[in-house]
Parts: sequence; structure tokens; C-alpha cells
Amino acid sequence: MAAKPIASPIPVALYPTLSVFTLTIGLVITAIFFIYETTSSRKNRSLGKELATSAVASVFLGFGSLFLLLASGVYV
Amino acid sequence: MAARIGIFAVVVAVFLSIPAFSSAQDLQIVNAERRIDLSSHIVKAFLTLKVENIGKSAAAEMLLAFSPTQIKNLAMVQALAITGKKKKKTYLPLDVKPTEQPDAPNDTGYYRVTFVSPLGPGETVSLEVLYILTHSLEPFPVEITQSESQLVYYHDSAVILSPYHVKQQTTFVKTPSTRVESFTSIEPANRAGKEIKYGPYENRASYSYAPVIIHFENNSPFAVVEELVREIEISHWGSLQITENYRLTHGGARHKGVFSRVDYQSKRSVSGASSFNALLAVLPPRVNSVYYRDDIGNISTSHLRTGFRKSELEFEPRYPLFGGWRATFIIGYRVPLEDYLFEASDGRRYLNFTFGCPLVETIVNKLTIKVVLPEGSKDPSAILPFTVNQDLQVKYSYLDIVGRTVVVLQKDNVVPTHNVPFQVYYTFKPIYMLAEPFMLVSAFFFVFVASLAYVHIDLNIARK
Repeated sequence: MAAKPIASPIPVALYPTLSVFTLTIGLVITAIFFIYETTSSRKNRSLGKELATSAVASVFLGFGSLFLLLASGVYV
Repeated sequence: MAARIGIFAVVVAVFLSIPAFSSAQDLQIVNAERRIDLSSHIVKAFLTLKVENIGKSAAAEMLLAFSPTQIKNLAMVQALAITGKKKKKTYLPLDVKPTEQPDAPNDTGYYRVTFVSPLGPGETVSLEVLYILTHSLEPFPVEITQSESQLVYYHDSAVILSPYHVKQQTTFVKTPSTRVESFTSIEPANRAGKEIKYGPYENRASYSYAPVIIHFENNSPFAVVEELVREIEISHWGSLQITENYRLTHGGARHKGVFSRVDYQSKRSVSGASSFNALLAVLPPRVNSVYYRDDIGNISTSHLRTGFRKSELEFEPRYPLFGGWRATFIIGYRVPLEDYLFEASDGRRYLNFTFGCPLVETIVNKLTIKVVLPEGSKDPSAILPFTVNQDLQVKYSYLDIVGRTVVVLQKDNVVPTHNVPFQVYYTFKPIYMLAEPFMLVSAFFFVFVASLAYVHIDLNIARK
């Protein structure tokens, strides 16, 4: 009756690398979002495009900050 | 006439309904050898008994008797049944439970030992009993100066207290050094070096008791942890964080007079013979991020040696501890999750961890272990080989909404023999792990939506 050990779904050694990559991608998409906001005029702004970009950016930023917390030792 | 037959039938029925197991007088101890180890402040006694059933019916269990003061200080009682001879001895652990007998003379306490198989009439069985007493060495003199050695009293009986007749018995007492001030002599008793031999005594009746006092020198460190709170926080993202809050005292003869640092450092073998300043904590093998601090800050007098089977943290409080002095500190460390968290066959998860205190040769007066389960865990339950007080609490930690369930296990009078594994079971659906990143994602999304709203809302008063 060998008990099955439970480990983290993502290998712990990958946390720092993952946090750097997801945060970079998240910040790039945030930049795209804000560039879109400032360069488009009120008439030809598309709400769908804005919401889609912000959703993708927030997902990447959210996971990036989670991996950053885990990599720095705050195991939430 | 009918009434008399009726009464007779009732009396016979009552006699027949008495259980067919022996009462206390049907067992007899043929040979008893007791070895008491007084080398440290934790008193260990090993009892080798040869028990014979002199009754007519099978005996399933026997009783071990302890005096009222010993029952209060008993930390652990274990019993093993010895089968086989010489080289091929096998030891089987027996079930030992505290019990109460209605007709106990002078408040004697009892432990019931259940045999592997009931002992038939005329059969004998060999048992080995280990019992551990805490706080049983009484310092006398009660207060000593820095340059004196520590002398203690040990109270016990030369004759083993037992509810059964003992045919032959001997007691050996081992002291840590050859300095024994006095010991009560109950013929035949003699002392040779570090060992005092009481016996052999023949044919002692049940409940016979011959009190003896041994006054001897014991300079082993009397490290007593008054209160220890261990918190084990489980994070499914990969680690177990353990935080231990200690309140440590020196439980021996109280220190009186001044503390001279000059004497202490120059004449270390004479000065502060019973004091201690170094402690050893045995930690799990793959431990990282170990810290040792107190209210003031980090304490740097510590050495950590990691190994394959265990890690050792040798640490020193900020000052040496003399009798009655206290030190409070916190030790914390992290261990990987896969060493301790497992999945049971029925789908539940369980934590397999070691109970007790990691310090070697210390008594813990009050131990509290708190196992903090991750958010979303349900149905917690703890399995331990001995009795503890269990409780449930809620703790709010990082990224928590409803709080984390905490299983609180509390036990008094804990000795290093209690360092055995225990399990805490709970159910957890892996999807709940996404609750934490989801909270962070929604926080960032809220910021984006707020900026969108700011850009879209037209706050101009003037009409365009």
C-alpha cells in the first residue's frame, strides 16, 4: 500500500522562470491596451477589442503575480 | 418453598453470569526485574515480568499499578510480549490503556495490558513494560549557587507495586554519576559504582510497597519546554511551512546568588555544572529556509547541518540557562510538500507528520500542534496512536475569503518517545486551487475596467 505523494501541479523549480515570462507577456499586452486607448479617437473605439485585450492582460498579470509570490517564498 | 427455589435459581444465575475472565488474584508474577534509568531528568523504567496464570479460567489482560504521584507524572506506558527463546526472540506490541478499578487501595492508578491471546490456566507469558516519568526528580537543595552541583531526590518503592503476588523481584537503579549522597536501604540493597541494586526480594504480597529515597547528583540538562505551539501550514503549491514557538525553562534546582560571567567562562567544569546553553533540534532531512529568532530579532548562535535522514540544528539561547531561568524563541522552517502529503485510497488527502517536539531530551509541559489546511478543505480528521485533545479553528491568511480550517491537537506531558507519525485526513477538490489566481486575475481586471470607464465616460458639462 504505497501511498501516492501529492506534489504541486507545476514543478516548484519552474516558478521563477514562469513568473518572469507571464509577467512580461502580461505587461506587453497591458501596453498594447493603453496604446490602443490613447491612439484611437472616441468614434472608432471598439469596446469588444478593449475588453478582450484587458481580459487577456489581466489573466497573464494575475498568474504572473501568483508565480512571483510563490517564487519569493510566500506560499499562498 | 417455591420462593426459596426461586431465590436459589437467581443466586445461581448471578454466579454463572460473572464473566469467565480471571479477577486480579488469579495471576501471579513469577519473576520481575526492574531497571530504572535516572541518567537524565526523564526517568525511564524497564520492567521485565514473567506472569503465570494460577486461576482456572483464561486471562485476557493484566493490570499494572502505579502510586498516585507516579500516575500524575506518567508520560507513556508501553508493553511488549516476548515470544521465542534466546536468539529468536520476537517482540509484539500490546495494547495498554489507563483504567480505573473501583476497589483501588490508597488511590492507586492502573493501566490495563491486553495480551496477544488469552493466557490459559497454568501458562506463563513474558512481558516487557517501559514507562516514562517526567518531573520525578526533585531538586534538593532547592536552590543552589553557581558553583554548586545539582543534587536531586528520587522517590520510589524498592518493592514493585503490583495487584498480584510477586514471587521474586529485583530492582536496579542507574545513576548518572558515582556521587550518591544517600539511599534508603531495604535489605538486601547495595550500591556498586553507578548502580544500586534492591533485591532479590522473595514472595511479596500484592500491593506491598517499601518507599525509598535516593539522593544523588544529576547534572544533566533539565530542559523543560513550558509551552510549545507548532503550526504546520499546508500549501498545495508545494511546501509545508512549520513555525514553532518555544518557552523554555531550566527545570532543576533554582539559581540563587549572583551570576558571575568570569567564573562561568574561566572555570566551566565547576561553575554552572547543571546549567546548559546548547540545545539540539532534529529537523526533517530536506529542510530549507530555517530561521531562529525571538522578540528582539534574529539569533545568530546556531548551526544547521542538513543530511539524508535528518537535519540537525544546534542552537544556543542568548544566555546560558540556570535553574528557574527562561528563554522564549521561535524556530521556523520549510519542507517540500511531496514528503508529507499523500493521497489515500479513498481519494482523501492526508498529511503524515511527526508528533512531538524536535528538541532532544526535553519534556514539553503543554504541546499544541496546529495543522492549517488550505482553503476549501472539508471534513478534517486526525488519527493518532495516543489520546490528544482535538479542536477546530479558523485562520485567515494570504488570499483568503472564507478562512482556512485549523486542526488543533493538544497534549500535556510530552517526551521524546512521543515523536511518532500521525495523520490528518481531509478532502480537497483540486479545482479550488484556482481560487487564488482567480482572485488576482479579477483584481487586475477591475483595474482595467476602471480605466476603461474613465476613458469612456463623458464628464463635459458643455454640450458638444
